[in-house]
Amino acid sequence: MSAKKLGVAILGTGNIGTDLMMKVLRSPVLECRLFAGRNLSSPGMTKASLLGVPVSAKGFQSIVDLKGELSLVFDATSAMDHQKHAPVLKELGLVAIDLTPAKVGKMCVPAVNLAECLNEPNVNMITCGGQASIPLAYAIKSANPGVEYLEAVSSIASRSAGPATRINLDEYLQTTEQGLSLFGGCERTKAILNLNPAQPCVHMQTTVMAKIAQPDLERTRAAVAEMVARIKAYIPGYQLVLEPMLENGRLVAMVRVDGLGDYLPRYAGNLDIINCAAIAFAEAYARQRTAQT
Amino acid sequence: MKEAIALVRADAEAVLQGHLERLAPLRGQHLFITGGTGFLGTWLLELAKVLNERHQFGLQVTIFSRNTQAFAARWPHLGQEKWVTLQDGDIRYFTELPRDVRYVIHAAALTDRRVFASHPSAVAETNTVGTLRILRAATLLEDLQKVVLLSSGLVYGGQPWDLPRINEDFGGVLKCNDVNAVYPESKRLAEVIAQCAISESKLPVVTLRPFAFVGPYQSLQLPWAVTDFIRDSFRGGPIRLMGDGATVRSIMYYSDFACGVLLALAAGRPRTTYNLGSDEPVDLLTLAQKITKYFSPVPEIKLRLGQTGHDRNRLVPDTTRLATELGFKITVPLDAALQKSIEWHRLTGDWQSVPPFSHATKSQ
Amino acid sequence: MSDGKPTITVCDATLRDGSHAYSHQITLEQVKAYATAAEAAGFNFLEVGHGNGLGASSLQVGESLVPEGEMLRAAKACLKRTKLSVHVIPGFATINREIAHAMDAGVELFRVGCHCTEADITQRHIGHVRSEGREAWGVLMMSHMVSADILLEETKKMQSYGAQGIVLMDSAGAYFPADVTAKIGLLAAKLEVPVGFHAHNNLGLAVANSIAALEAGARIVDGTGRGFGAGAGNAPIELIAAVLIKQGYPTALDLYKALDAGDLAAKLFAGSLPESNGVTIVSGMTGVFSGFSKPVQRAAKQFGVDGRDIFFELGKRKVVGGQEDLILEVADQLAKRSKDAGQTPPAP
Repeated sequence: MSAKKLGVAILGTGNIGTDLMMKVLRSPVLECRLFAGRNLSSPGMTKASLLGVPVSAKGFQSIVDLKGELSLVFDATSAMDHQKHAPVLKELGLVAIDLTPAKVGKMCVPAVNLAECLNEPNVNMITCGGQASIPLAYAIKSANPGVEYLEAVSSIASRSAGPATRINLDEYLQTTEQGLSLFGGCERTKAILNLNPAQPCVHMQTTVMAKIAQPDLERTRAAVAEMVARIKAYIPGYQLVLEPMLENGRLVAMVRVDGLGDYLPRYAGNLDIINCAAIAFAEAYARQRTAQT
Repeated sequence: MKEAIALVRADAEAVLQGHLERLAPLRGQHLFITGGTGFLGTWLLELAKVLNERHQFGLQVTIFSRNTQAFAARWPHLGQEKWVTLQDGDIRYFTELPRDVRYVIHAAALTDRRVFASHPSAVAETNTVGTLRILRAATLLEDLQKVVLLSSGLVYGGQPWDLPRINEDFGGVLKCNDVNAVYPESKRLAEVIAQCAISESKLPVVTLRPFAFVGPYQSLQLPWAVTDFIRDSFRGGPIRLMGDGATVRSIMYYSDFACGVLLALAAGRPRTTYNLGSDEPVDLLTLAQKITKYFSPVPEIKLRLGQTGHDRNRLVPDTTRLATELGFKITVPLDAALQKSIEWHRLTGDWQSVPPFSHATKSQ
Repeated sequence: MSDGKPTITVCDATLRDGSHAYSHQITLEQVKAYATAAEAAGFNFLEVGHGNGLGASSLQVGESLVPEGEMLRAAKACLKRTKLSVHVIPGFATINREIAHAMDAGVELFRVGCHCTEADITQRHIGHVRSEGREAWGVLMMSHMVSADILLEETKKMQSYGAQGIVLMDSAGAYFPADVTAKIGLLAAKLEVPVGFHAHNNLGLAVANSIAALEAGARIVDGTGRGFGAGAGNAPIELIAAVLIKQGYPTALDLYKALDAGDLAAKLFAGSLPESNGVTIVSGMTGVFSGFSKPVQRAAKQFGVDGRDIFFELGKRKVVGGQEDLILEVADQLAKRSKDAGQTPPAP
């Protein structure tokens, strides 16, 4: 059975990496052969050990050492670290899924461009707000010619924004805007991020707004509904809370993302969505490999 | 044994009188207690049992400690309740809290003075890393309402002799280039760690500084004044004091202690520190006399056995904040507390399992 | 002379907070005319830009009529003694884009703000402004939502990042004077840098609260001409001038010119001056961002629901500034709920 599964490694044993591990363990086509970081007594490592997942505190070197058994590596370290890992992984022939903002590889939103990413050596998962908003932007574009401007606003629970997110808000905005431009086919874009400290923690919400000369609301609604269904296949907690509507000269649609609550709390839909997207890519890659052999 | 359990049950029922409304936020909640098999944890379970059986609180309690199985075997009336979940582990490697937990009591710590002497680095690690780990895990809860951190009255590092009672704003003085500082310093750092979690993650942490206690479930092996005196009295005496018995402490009964912790959990103001102890001072000689009078023949009390023959220091909390904010009152005065404790140890025969070794009592 | 009273720094936010009251349609001519009046009055700082600060012109919170760079340059050209300031919210504004452009436009003070519990997101922006040799303050918005000790903790973070002043904003106009006394009093006692207060008038207390702030030790006070600002407006800056003079604070303000600035605002923005009404009062009562008033009234009309209901629901959800998109979701829900209850909402 497990011989058919794709051997993967997770690099980085923080909250993101640990949650990814839980998702890989559930996958019918992925096998976690290595959970690598630096601190064997970290909560993530402890959890992995208890679950019988092979762990290493030798960080990236442990991936190099185990390369023969691996096909794909999730990198949940930092942008700076991924810059160093990326060329080595490429040389080793390991597909890299980059969960950092390093933007080394091709931007991937599974609901939109999964197929064209499957032959890439390195795919980048953009940002949480990007994974939530870009599919809507893409659906809006596909239903309306002449989108002049796109905007994505995300609100997340304060507690789901760790120190790295907080210090890198500018990079988050910039990367999300680049993703919106690329997939939304529109040069002028804007991203906004709000942190909300309310208790109980708020679930992630993302609103996409567009300026369109002559919006076709019916077509937009159909395109968005279809897109939401496609995303739900890999992010079950993705739901439309405000159907596309016109208000004050703008087209508006809003989604809420409930996390799966694997390791991260359910309110952290913003973290869950990027992990779900990474898993969706990895599983598609695994299935493609099986089909080829 | 049945009578011993009944004694504790009666105390648990009595102490909760008049507090049910304040404790109401805990109804239907899942409480997580680290270090839950110690005497505090055991008492908290006794109170929870009353809240569930008499007042339909519907509490779920998870107890985390290093030896929950031994605990369940020793006290099946608590350990085998279906609303109690036992979780074995070492707090230094704590990983995850159950998702539905909204209230956490962090009581796991090394508190034995003999361990302070033999393995001080273990004390430093457990009491600080354990606190980091539990608070980190708490940041992943969806709707955390309160974390109560059990610190220690020893964080003050000593009380001026002429200050009758010490309040929460007293800065304290500790000499850190001294291994004897390991316990109070570890507790001080644990408090700062809690403040870090408050500042970084806005965790609703309440800090309690407990003082000295007596009561059922307390191990007479502990080298504290009150346990020394009771144990030595059971053995027929003598009670041996190094100094002249002028050192001043205050001693609270466990049912009051546990009730104070529950009140802080339900109604304590996040970010606030409360002293938790009796504010009735008692000097060690008087304490010894109060204990020995429950034994016949009355054991002898020997004074001034040490080098200097006198030893005076003072540790008595000002508990105004606890009383005014949380409506806390002591229900078992010292004499009754001592009588109940002695009665319990007599009923359980617990004192007989203590090795026949006695050392003279210093302060604390 | 004053009986030992401190000199107060007066910040005029008319051309920034007023943006909310004007649906962000302030023109270059209005900027120039008002900036000239502010300079004449001798206010220390004039804040210019979109209501939510740099980079906030958006579909989310409303698009500005005039690009911010043009507004800033136009204002700067009218100022000599009065320094030009901007409001900056990380999450809207970035260093490389908006802050850099504002520096080019000659902005002297950057007031870097965030929701009152999120001070650490201002670290890089405050640090950058300081490293470029400009003045940076820290601003906590919606500061009614948390206790004084949390505000102290958060403002201390900002102080450690290099903030040279701290302003508490009563963004929802929800403070009572006793709240101001407690919060400003604590900050004034515990911070090294000067502390200020930015009032809103939703509960009719903007001037009273500003006085309470001064008495509690504030050294900075915000106001706007005729109170031109979000919700029921701010503390009218001409009244702030009157208070300072009457209470004997040493000041270089020109009273008549300050009064003129108020009158000019009334003339420039006639028809859009903020007023107290049911919606702004409920904004104050529910502690929801004053800037939501206009979009809430718009959504109430479109969805056929009561704007006050929208505010109460937003208050329950503890929304923060910048979450304007939730107005539509809440209005939509309220409309559906009343439909389910069998009532026909009035035609929009």
